[in-house]
Amino acid sequence: MYFLGVDIGSSSSKAAIIDENKNILVRVARNIGTGTNGPTLVINQALEEVGITRDQINFTVATGYGRVTFTQADKQITEISCHGKGVAHLVPGAHTIIDIGGQDAKVIRLNDKGNVDNFLMNEKCAAGTGRFLEVMARILNCGLEDLSGLAKESTEEIEISNTCTVFAESEVISQLAQGTAKADVAQGANNSITSRVAGLARRIGITPVVVMTGGVAKNDAVVRCMEKQIGYDITVAPDPQTVGALGAALFALETFNKK
Amino acid sequence: MADIKSLIAEFEKVALNPAKSAAELKKETGKKLIGMFPYHLPEEIVYAAGMLPVGMWGGQTEIKLSNKYLQSFCCSMIKANFEMGMNKTYQKVLDGVVMAAYCDTLKCICEDWKVAVTDMPLIAMYYPQNRKIAAAIDYMGAEFKKAQEQLEAIAGKKVTEADLEAAWEVYEAYRAESRKFVKLVAKMPKTLNATVRHLVIKAAWFMDKKVYTEKLAALNAAIEAAPAEEFNGKKVLVEGIMVEPIALLDAFVENDVCIIGDDLSHQSRMFRIEGRKEGTVYEKMAYRIADAYADPLLLDEKKEHGKELIDMVKEYGADGVVVCAMKFCDPEEYDYPIFKEELEAANIPVLYMEIEQQMESVGQYKTRIQAFAETLA
Repeated sequence: MYFLGVDIGSSSSKAAIIDENKNILVRVARNIGTGTNGPTLVINQALEEVGITRDQINFTVATGYGRVTFTQADKQITEISCHGKGVAHLVPGAHTIIDIGGQDAKVIRLNDKGNVDNFLMNEKCAAGTGRFLEVMARILNCGLEDLSGLAKESTEEIEISNTCTVFAESEVISQLAQGTAKADVAQGANNSITSRVAGLARRIGITPVVVMTGGVAKNDAVVRCMEKQIGYDITVAPDPQTVGALGAALFALETFNKK
Repeated sequence: MADIKSLIAEFEKVALNPAKSAAELKKETGKKLIGMFPYHLPEEIVYAAGMLPVGMWGGQTEIKLSNKYLQSFCCSMIKANFEMGMNKTYQKVLDGVVMAAYCDTLKCICEDWKVAVTDMPLIAMYYPQNRKIAAAIDYMGAEFKKAQEQLEAIAGKKVTEADLEAAWEVYEAYRAESRKFVKLVAKMPKTLNATVRHLVIKAAWFMDKKVYTEKLAALNAAIEAAPAEEFNGKKVLVEGIMVEPIALLDAFVENDVCIIGDDLSHQSRMFRIEGRKEGTVYEKMAYRIADAYADPLLLDEKKEHGKELIDMVKEYGADGVVVCAMKFCDPEEYDYPIFKEELEAANIPVLYMEIEQQMESVGQYKTRIQAFAETLA
C-alpha cells in the first residue's frame, strides 16, 4: 500500500510517498508553489520514482498554504501538524521545531509523545522568512544556495536594523554602496532573519532537542546563526524541505488505518 | 427550525449592513440616533431621552484622514471610527456621539474629535479608575447627569426619573435575554455557529433594544423548543475586544470550531453583569461598571482576569481559549502575559492571534485556527 503527502507551500511544492510500514519511498521538492503546476509536477515525479501510478495511492493528505485549493487530496491538514508529525518520525526526542519556509516562519512545541502541544507563527510580513533571504540573494547577485557559503566568509559583523524586507532591501543597497563586503551583508541578513525567529522561539519556550525544518534549514550559515541566537544545538531534519510532506504522508497512513 | 432560520436571517440582515440598518432605523422610527463608542456608556439615558443608541465598533473603511491625528500604532477599530467621523459617514445618520476615555487612544480621540469633527456633537465621559468605592459611584452619577443634560439638548426633551426607570427595564431585559442566548449556543452549535452567533449579538447595536429583545426572546424560545444538535467539533472560548472581519469567524466555522462562550467587549462584557435591584437608575448604572469583571478596560487591582477566564472555560465546557487581540490595544496587551501563564498552568490550551479589523487576507489565521483545532483533537 502507498500513502502520499503533498506540501504545497508559497514558493515550493513537495511530495512524499511511504508504504504501510512507514518506510519512506521517495521525497521530492520543486521550487514552484501554490497556484502553479508545481504540485502536479512533484506528485508525478514521486510516482515515477517509486514506479507506481496515481490510482495505486491508498490515501492522500495535502498540507501547506495551498492545501485548501488542492482538490485531489482525501484530507487536508495544516503544515503545523504535518511538520510535527514528520519531525517526531525522523528525530525521536524532538521537542522544539523551528520551521522557516518561503513566506512564513513557525515555532512548534512537541510534547513527550511527539504531538503538537503549542505553536507560534510570524505575523503577516515577510520578515524572518525565506523571502527575506531571496531578496538578499538577488541584491548580492548570487544564487540562494550560494548565500550560506558567502556568509561564512564574513569577517565583520554588520547589523541590518530594518526588520521589514522592503526597507531592509534599501538599507542593504546603501551598505553595499558604502563598500561593505558582500559576505558581511550576507551574514547580516542571517542575523536579521534568525533574531526574528529566535524571538518567536523564546516566546513559546525552547526545550531540546531543537530541530530545524523548511527550505531555509538547508542554509548552514543560518542554522549556525540560529544556534547562537537561541543558545541550543540544532539538529537539521534530514531533507528539511520535505518534512511537511512526509508528515502529511504519515497522517495519510494513520487516517487510512482508522477508517 | 424554519422559525430559527428566519429569525437568524433578520438579525444577519441588520448586522451585515450597519450603515443601511442605521439609516432604516432612523427612517422607520423617526428618532434621533446617538453613536456609542466602545463601551459601558449610558445607553439607558439616550433611550430615556427618546433617541436610539447605535454601536460604533469600527468597520471596513480605508484609513486616510484619521492618520493626521492617530499614529500607525493606534487601534484599528478606533481609527476606523474616527475616519468615519472625519469623512462624514456618520453624519448621514447620527445626531451625536458618546465616548469614554478608557485607553490612551480614546483619551486622545475625546479631544481630537472636538477639533476634527466639528459638525457632530460629542459627549465625552470620564470614568474613575477606582470604580468600586462609594465615591466612584457618586462621581459616575455626576458624569451621567452631565451626559444627560447634553443628551437632552440634542433630543430637545427633558428626561424624567420615570423615563430612566423604563429605559433601565428595557436594557435589563435585553441583557437577560442576551445572557440566555449565549448559553443556548451549546444546544445548537451548528446552527449558531461562530458567524451566526456574532451577527445575532451584533444586530442589537442597530435596532431599538426593545424590538431586538422581543425578537431575541422569540429566537431563544425556538431554540429551547428545538432538539439539541449533535456536534463533534471543538468548543472554544474567545477573548478580546471583538472578532471581525467576518472571514475570520468563517474560519472557525470551516474548521468545526464552535465559539461556545466569549469574553469579548463587543459581546458578553456588555451584558453579562446583571444590574442591582436597589438604588436610583444612576446608581444601578454605576454599579454595573463597578461590578464588571474580566474586563481589561476597567481597573482590576487584583489581576483576576486569568482566574475568571479559567472559571468561564469550566462553565462553558470549552476545550481551549482563542485570544483575538486587537492590534495595539494596550489594555488587552497588559493582561495577556498574566492570564496566559495562568491558563497554561491550568492546562488550558491557548491560541493567540493579533487581529486588525481591516485585514485583507485571513489565510494565515485560517491555518492557525485549523492547527489549534488539530492540537485539541
